[in-house]
Amino acid sequence: MEPIKKTKLSFRTIAPFLNIGQNNTSRFFSYAGLAIGVLLLLCSVQMYININQLLKDKNPRKNGFDFIAITKNITDQNMGNDNRFNDADLKELQSKPFIKDAAPLISNQFRAKVSAGDIIPFSTDLFLESLKNDFIDTVPPSFSWQPGQQEVPIIFSADFLEMYNIFAPAQGLPQLSGTSAGMVTIFLECYGPGGIQKYKARIVALSDRINSVLVPEEFLKWANREYGNAPNPPAARIYLKTVDANNPELLDFLQQKNYRVNKDKTKFGRVKQVLQAVVTGLGGFAILVILLAMMLFSFYLQLMIARSKDNLQLLLTLGYSPGWLSKTVAKKWIPAYTIIIIVALCLTQLLQWLFQGIALNNRDELSPLIHISVIALAALLWLLCILVNYRLIRKLLYRL
Amino acid sequence: MISLDKVQPSYLEKEKIERSQIWNEQLQISKGERIQIVAPSGSGKTSFIHFLYGLRNDFNGNISIDGKQLKNFSAEDFAAIRSSVCSIIFQDLRLFPDHTVFENINIKRVLNPFHGEERIKEMAARLGIENKLSKLARTCSYGEQQRVAIIRALQQPFDFILMDEPYSNLDENNRMIAMELIEEEAKKRNAAIVLADLKRLEFYKADRIIYL
Repeated sequence: MEPIKKTKLSFRTIAPFLNIGQNNTSRFFSYAGLAIGVLLLLCSVQMYININQLLKDKNPRKNGFDFIAITKNITDQNMGNDNRFNDADLKELQSKPFIKDAAPLISNQFRAKVSAGDIIPFSTDLFLESLKNDFIDTVPPSFSWQPGQQEVPIIFSADFLEMYNIFAPAQGLPQLSGTSAGMVTIFLECYGPGGIQKYKARIVALSDRINSVLVPEEFLKWANREYGNAPNPPAARIYLKTVDANNPELLDFLQQKNYRVNKDKTKFGRVKQVLQAVVTGLGGFAILVILLAMMLFSFYLQLMIARSKDNLQLLLTLGYSPGWLSKTVAKKWIPAYTIIIIVALCLTQLLQWLFQGIALNNRDELSPLIHISVIALAALLWLLCILVNYRLIRKLLYRL
Repeated sequence: MISLDKVQPSYLEKEKIERSQIWNEQLQISKGERIQIVAPSGSGKTSFIHFLYGLRNDFNGNISIDGKQLKNFSAEDFAAIRSSVCSIIFQDLRLFPDHTVFENINIKRVLNPFHGEERIKEMAARLGIENKLSKLARTCSYGEQQRVAIIRALQQPFDFILMDEPYSNLDENNRMIAMELIEEEAKKRNAAIVLADLKRLEFYKADRIIYL
């Protein structure tokens, strides 16, 4: 007997037995809906990433936490009182669930004077403060002190350095860069009951977050005891570590206690939060559009299968496998889904390119290319469409 | 082998079951056998064929094919059995009315071909419907459609061919030609023929005649 030429079974084999060409309107509407939904979702995710990228440097977050300084509000009524935080205030702050941690900014209880030697003929009385290392954004390993050590490391506010550079030329003083400031030897004089004690000091880091002159906690505690005879002074400022500085509960609490927040440090956080909320809302709407489009497509499929019911039943009776039929029928729409997702991805890329090039005037902080996670999301949506489609067809066929 | 173990339709009257040589009895059908089931109207002939082919399962007792019980079969198992173990000619033919005769036959052939495409034309010529191959099935007479159903059933490999009144609308000459073709094809596969009809068919030389 001659070998039989086997025809490979494919969708083309069974296509004439299915009414796929009918009800094209609902099919094309579902395609269009899916394309719009996917485009909206991809754009929302890309915009969310853009917002994070653009506002990254302005965000005072560290390790996922916001750090904000609070003081007591000084008004005409309370200006004569001691407006510093006592232990009870600190404990109350630490007990709140929306505050991860709170640490006082301890200040010097003795007179401190700094001068910069002969190179920079400048001397001034100065305030010193210390804060738990956890709360400081830049802590080099050299930022520590132990009794007997002659050199005191300092973390200096970047804002103060900027202010110095503004008035320095008028005073005949040299302007300093961040690196050169670290090379200047500073003389620190501490005035106490036993006379003046001189230390060498050096700026070991600049801080964007803390507007102060920070010395190691060990040094200030020791010096306050030694020169100021005040080992545990109350703090005028407290730093809060919180998951979200814009948490309404936190803001309500601070307002109720009449505490003042350094608003500059949370301003970008607020802008970012609003933008993120808008984009998230848009993303939610996009998911809704995708779901509606998929529902419309499922109606089309149900109608197609209902119209081909007799033929499909007969194919099953003749021995066609329901599993094979489901896979083969479902595969028919893979090219359509692929085209829809690729078109949406290309449009997202085009919009990102226009946004970076025209709206942002080619700013470097933002890439003109879409983020890898947007491509991953597109791939995920593609897979999801195919899977949902396959499961639906399989369910409908097994029900026959 | 097909084995029936005390099979009885759940809806059939008691006296009909008691009179039957199949219902509530033990029965084996082996490959290569030629069996005629003689079944008067209402005795459950079509039900019996549908039970064997797995289209209905409203019976008590067990039916097994090659040791596997039909009641445990999945939809995929039935698909496998129908494409390579059991072929069938339905009493109601079950053709695709809006497709051509050729398409009706070829859709079965391509699933698991036993013959090449050219054999369809040869068989159609032998049964006198070669000029109908390009016509829609619904435009053919019932007798022609019956011959289409016969040719379709012969396109696949099978161990058992189940036939439910396959010649009811054929004249004597065409009945004999069709029977000859079916016997030839069954012999090629060493397959059993299970032919169910209202009365005994003289031109079919069965090994066993069983009264339902």
